[in-house]
Amino acid sequence: MSKFWVVFKREYAQVVKKKSFIIGVFLMPVMMGAFIVLPSFFVNATTSKTEKLVVIDQSGLNIGNEFRESLNRYKLDDTTRYCYEVKQVFELPADDSLRFTVLEDSLRRLIANEELKYMLVIKRGAHLCDTCVYLVTNSDKFRTMSRFENRLSDILSSVRLEISDVNLGVDSVLNLTRRLSLPTRDAKGESLPFLVKYMGALIFVMLMFGMILGYGQMVMRSVIEEKNSRVMEVLISSVTPFQLMLGKILGLGAATFTQAGIWVVLGAGIYTMKGAFNIDASIDRLIFNPAIVIFYVLFLITGYLLYSTVFALIGSIVNSEKESQHFIFPIVMSMMLPVMIAMYIIQEPMSTVSLVLSMIPFFTPTMMSMRLVFVAPTLESYSILSGILMQASIGFVIVVLTTLGMIWLTAKIFRIGILMYGKRPTFPEIVKWVKY
Amino acid sequence: MFLKLDRIRKEYDGKVAVDDLSLEVPRGVIYGIIGPNGAGKTTTIRMIMNITIPDSGSITMDGAPTGTAFRNNVGYLPEERGLYKKMTLKEIMVYLAELKGQPSPKTLETLDHWLERVDLIEYKDKKVEELSKGMQQKLQFVTTILHDPALIILDEIFSGLDPLNMELIKGIILDLKRAGKTILFSTHVMEQAEKLCDNLCMISRGKKVIDGRLTDVKSQFGKNSAQIEIEGDGAFIASLPGVKKMTEFNNYIELHLQDGADTNAILRSVTDRVTVRRFDIVEPSLYDIFIDMAKVDPAELEQQKEGAGV
Repeated sequence: MSKFWVVFKREYAQVVKKKSFIIGVFLMPVMMGAFIVLPSFFVNATTSKTEKLVVIDQSGLNIGNEFRESLNRYKLDDTTRYCYEVKQVFELPADDSLRFTVLEDSLRRLIANEELKYMLVIKRGAHLCDTCVYLVTNSDKFRTMSRFENRLSDILSSVRLEISDVNLGVDSVLNLTRRLSLPTRDAKGESLPFLVKYMGALIFVMLMFGMILGYGQMVMRSVIEEKNSRVMEVLISSVTPFQLMLGKILGLGAATFTQAGIWVVLGAGIYTMKGAFNIDASIDRLIFNPAIVIFYVLFLITGYLLYSTVFALIGSIVNSEKESQHFIFPIVMSMMLPVMIAMYIIQEPMSTVSLVLSMIPFFTPTMMSMRLVFVAPTLESYSILSGILMQASIGFVIVVLTTLGMIWLTAKIFRIGILMYGKRPTFPEIVKWVKY
Repeated sequence: MFLKLDRIRKEYDGKVAVDDLSLEVPRGVIYGIIGPNGAGKTTTIRMIMNITIPDSGSITMDGAPTGTAFRNNVGYLPEERGLYKKMTLKEIMVYLAELKGQPSPKTLETLDHWLERVDLIEYKDKKVEELSKGMQQKLQFVTTILHDPALIILDEIFSGLDPLNMELIKGIILDLKRAGKTILFSTHVMEQAEKLCDNLCMISRGKKVIDGRLTDVKSQFGKNSAQIEIEGDGAFIASLPGVKKMTEFNNYIELHLQDGADTNAILRSVTDRVTVRRFDIVEPSLYDIFIDMAKVDPAELEQQKEGAGV
């Protein structure tokens, strides 16, 4: 097996020595972090400029002026200036449609020329009919929208309250009718917020997806390169096709795990400073749950072996990367499926559909990992007989058997395919190679 | 006997590529496998190299089947050549030798020597893609012999080499022979084989036509051929007694004579009719022998020769 190691060493060194590997190792977490952190950062970022608005109030209920006052609570970062400045509240009689039309037209023009940000129109009966209030704007800031909505809702509630028979203050009514956000706890009384689970599952699956596809495709490219450069024949006169194939798959696999290892170390570093990064403390229960972690590592290894074997197979029968494209599409899809139906899996992790899908070997690694995040038992309630652990174990065995079968099949096709240049073999020809 | 092929046969889709071919390659010789394109040379070599498996027959080296030990003790230069473009010369030489079971420190001992021998020493740490095509061929030849194999197999070694590099490689091949190595090469260019090999085997359409020592093969055919250069129309020569066959070339005529033909009588008859500028009794070339033995159409062979640019 010493020649296997020679191939293994070269394939490993070829990847790990490259600058792109180093860059990838450090860039990927930064980019993933950016994807998660940046959107919320920008949503929460405060505007630095006071925005101007005008209100046309035809309600006759003084809603415009109350709205103007209610906006005073929003201040800019320096806390001395207001976020919004209501330039004017035009109070028009409800039946003066001529003046209204002229006024609205000229204000619309100002907004179109970006001299004005918002125009709030409150028509008569605004407290009865939701479409009687509308905002004209050239901005899409949904934070502003939700602020305006909240303030107007409160004002309209109090208007409705005043004309009703209920003899209560607005604040007390709002307090009485407040909505509940239902906190969830598990049997042990600890809480694992849904968002942590959801993001955790997504990150786990995306990492697996990235590593398996990235390095699997490298196996394929490496085979295609050796075919195209014709160095293949020299290699095959020195090593057996099987040694070559295994050396490639495992050598690049070792590179995958080098990358994963560096990420674990980086992750551990970030974890120790989790306070500084505002990371939810409940993440502990995700990453320190042995059921999740052990199966994740097992599925990452077997998933990589399964997919990279398929990629080696494709590499051996095509002549160029271009030719490989239409084989790759279904592979990417089979890995993406769990992400696409993630919402369903999350809602119904133990349903028959989830179970059956996660037992299809090409879906198992990602699908089962995702289910585990949601239903893995905690350390205290461990039992191999627990449904999900049993299923995950069976899934693992299925993946291992499929991988072995795939290696057997690929070995048969590989040794002939790698020496076929020019024409891509037809399916019947490939079947013949397998029987041969 | 060093390398022995015993009635090997290979069929592709019902087409026989190699048909019950038996060869014996003695130790320490330069052995040529000769035949036109498509005769089965590359298939034969691939079977020796275990790249394709013969349908029947056996291949042995010193009586033992060709396994891992054989792989390590043979250097193979395929017809379709190529190397990793992104590796440096040094890396690729170390790697390919390692694949043959030679540890890298041992390769590094002789690496400089070989690179100097083929004028590539200054490229030692450059990437293969920076070399010209001719340089890459020389590099690949060197990688074939770097692990000091006892048997060196070169498939169409001279195709694509310029005359200068061809001489360089020929020189190395002769040195290797002097060092006791066995060299097996294939070519469709008979003139090259004639200049280089000690033993040969001609194959045509997958079948052996003739094999043995070059001198034996030639003497077997005797001095039964003559070249004649004349002024005027020589069509009548074909009907002279003793002339078996006449082939007209641009500036000379080649005559195939019957055994025991009276060459003096032929020459006299010719001088009676036209002016003779040259009359040579020549040994048959491998080309003639091949045409004679394989009963192939010379036009077909001529085409291939032109196609190969030789």
